[in-house]
Amino acid sequence: MVVASLAFVEFLVIILARDIYLNGLHIYTLGASSPNLAIPENYIVPVRIILEVDSISIFMAIIAATVSLAAAIYSLSFMKGETGQNRFYTLLLLLVAGMFGMVLTGDLFNLFVFLEIASIAGAALVAFRTKFADTAEGGLKYIVISTVAALMVLFAIGIFYAQYNLLNIGALAHVMQYTMLDKIALVLLAIAFMMKLASVPLHMWCPDTYSVAPAGITIMLVVASYACLYALFRTCFTLYGVSPDMVTVGWIVITLGMLTMFVGVTMAVFQTDIKRLMAYHCISQTGYMLLGIGVGLAVLNRPEALNTYGIAAMDGGIFHIINNALYKGLLFLTAGALFYRTGTRDLNRMGGLAHKMKWTTIFYIIGALSISGIPPFNGFASKLLIYESVYRFNPILAIVAMITSILTLASFTKAFYSAFMGAELPEYQEVKEVPKSMIAGMAVLAAGIIFFSLFPGLIVDWLAHPATEALINQGAYINGIIGGG
Amino acid sequence: MSILGLSYSPWSPIFWLLASVVVMIMAYFFRRRGQKKYKKDTEQTKIFLCGEEVPEAKQRHIRAHNVYWGFFETMKEYYDANIKAHTGIINDYIIWFLVLIAISAIILFIVGIV
Repeated sequence: MVVASLAFVEFLVIILARDIYLNGLHIYTLGASSPNLAIPENYIVPVRIILEVDSISIFMAIIAATVSLAAAIYSLSFMKGETGQNRFYTLLLLLVAGMFGMVLTGDLFNLFVFLEIASIAGAALVAFRTKFADTAEGGLKYIVISTVAALMVLFAIGIFYAQYNLLNIGALAHVMQYTMLDKIALVLLAIAFMMKLASVPLHMWCPDTYSVAPAGITIMLVVASYACLYALFRTCFTLYGVSPDMVTVGWIVITLGMLTMFVGVTMAVFQTDIKRLMAYHCISQTGYMLLGIGVGLAVLNRPEALNTYGIAAMDGGIFHIINNALYKGLLFLTAGALFYRTGTRDLNRMGGLAHKMKWTTIFYIIGALSISGIPPFNGFASKLLIYESVYRFNPILAIVAMITSILTLASFTKAFYSAFMGAELPEYQEVKEVPKSMIAGMAVLAAGIIFFSLFPGLIVDWLAHPATEALINQGAYINGIIGGG
Repeated sequence: MSILGLSYSPWSPIFWLLASVVVMIMAYFFRRRGQKKYKKDTEQTKIFLCGEEVPEAKQRHIRAHNVYWGFFETMKEYYDANIKAHTGIINDYIIWFLVLIAISAIILFIVGIV
């Protein structure tokens, strides 16, 4: 039932994406006589809950729908022996609802509410398997950092409401005065979202949480963190847009992106717990996205630089989000498959599993080559876009990004050798391939990787570039509300 | 659809795959011209360890913590500092959060004045 409903959601999201690609931004006003009626009669500002969906929103919704579907299929077997299945799938759907709400809403307060919904559901799911000693700690860490981040978001919303009497993102962007209070709100929002997306030095909760969550939930938490990345983009590009502070914010994002990339990957190489290794890679890959978008922010005030390489850097950063959701999702699922059969996450205790788990091995290879940026996989295409464009902005940044990619390959080679290669170990003589639903969950993401690898031009032209345009074109988003949709 | 337009040169995975197929065919051709005396399931296929007895599978598998040992020794100071910062204590995570908010606010304030 859960899988069928998520498959239907995926179908609806694809239809909506097609509609938005052809007809542009959509708004939906809840409770209004007409969905397009953003500002009711006798009012001068929007007051209702309004969903505002443009190319970047639907881009994130596609990621959320696809990964949630794969996670639900995978969890059918993975969670089979656990008690409280009803509660597990209820929380899973709540997490999906939270993610969709975050990426589709046009209202800042709703964004906060959905952020809380996703955080509470996420923390409960992390701590769901109470039979393991470390899950409660992982859940606690997730809820504490989420609550602190959400409180800062609420504080920033309070600052806006006190000044402008508004909560709608488009309407706020329309009247933004860039006061000192607005700058404080910008810092609070940006750093709170960076905490949630595990940017260095706010990343330390991420391995503690991702490593103990059920594998299907880990990949949904990755997407939930990308919903926060979306919120960061929405704040910087749509809410604040072209302002003198954006160059500074751009450089802050670039600096944190570089730190995130390098510290993430160097810590990943060191790990011997396969899920902690992958969690650090998740942090590292977020650095690429921050780098691409940070370059776009830094040149937002310079139209020539923006057109020459800024847009390409943003295309690369956004393309990397969907690529990473696919291959990082796949890799976490393969780690879950190894844990499912061996009962350990410790790479020191694994070896020779390729003899027994052929499908898992193939999926791991696809994911590992893709995340390492090896051609012809999709990770190579998005990284190439980032390297080329960032090189024109500052060559040193591009070189560090390439070194990070090399270390990524080294890290996944270590994990591959340790877990899959070598002779069959006596303790794993009885190990066999994981159940079919887990293979099917991994196959959904692997199929996505192969499709994206073969048709990168299609994905950039239809998904990533329209998303970039939606972020840059602040006026269109504002007009969607002020102009009545 | 397959070609990704870049500023320096386009990227096409289809052309890359076609080129790979050509290289693989060439590699196969050269391999076929090689040694013909190879026999499966004979002494030829066993592991050769300088005449020493080959240890059990469990003993000869190099474990994860030994991989890249030289790299970690070279980067010891970097890793010592980094691991020290990763305390696992949630209070420290929140301190980092507050410090970063303060630094970012100061930077924006200074830039605003200048």
